[in-house]
Amino acid sequence: MEFGSIEREFHVDASPEVVFEVISSPVHIREWWSAETDIESVPGATGELVWGDSATPRANVVPITVLEAQSPRSFSFRWCHPNGEVATPSNSLLVTFVLTPSGAGTSVHLTESGFREMGWEAAILEQHYNEHIVGWDTHLAHLRDYLMQLITTG
Amino acid sequence: MTAPVNDDLWSAIGDPTRRRMLDLLLTDGVGTATSLSEQLPVTRQAVAKHLAVLDRVGLVNVTPIGREMRYQVDDAQLARAVAQLAAVGATWDARLRRIKQIAEAIQRSQQQ
Repeated sequence: MEFGSIEREFHVDASPEVVFEVISSPVHIREWWSAETDIESVPGATGELVWGDSATPRANVVPITVLEAQSPRSFSFRWCHPNGEVATPSNSLLVTFVLTPSGAGTSVHLTESGFREMGWEAAILEQHYNEHIVGWDTHLAHLRDYLMQLITTG
Repeated sequence: MTAPVNDDLWSAIGDPTRRRMLDLLLTDGVGTATSLSEQLPVTRQAVAKHLAVLDRVGLVNVTPIGREMRYQVDDAQLARAVAQLAAVGATWDARLRRIKQIAEAIQRSQQQ
């Protein structure tokens, strides 16, 4: 087992409040992660990320536990720990988003760390899912519908 | 035959000594347990064990030459392993692009 981490920094032309909402609420996680989830953005909250299709709606189920949720500054969680187990540094991957105001937008710093074997498995799982079930084109169509809905109901 | 893609492949290249061995095999083209152990701070026996792990996941091809075994890197399997290492970063990049698009679309809709 080898410990590894991924680090990314990028700019978003949206306020930290909006970015925080997008990264932490189930309604948006469904869009950017293609996963159904019931997670609450409250420290200690536990839930599931669920990938599937109409034939097997729960084809892949991955636990998630929120560590920190400080709107609009930071959001962190652990995931990929075995079902039914409490997330710890040795059985899960830690994802941390740090949001910093930058001009009219937000600078987002992402880190994911944990045992590479798990990250690999999760990546393969997601890649498989994205390639075979939800292409990015389908995604954009969903996103368009979804935004229209937000605008009309909001 | 397509070699199975699983934890074993990942674990095989997760070990620093084995990665160093792959480097040496790629540089030299071929190697034996003896030639590799001369370039590494580990015994010939340890090298042989590591080579067996690499062989098991298809990362090296073995040819018996006299009493020795000659090892070469399997390019296709190494490419597969490398692609999988990159996939971890690539999936986050795809997720982050979507986060950016969603957040910016919401921001624009709020300003209208």
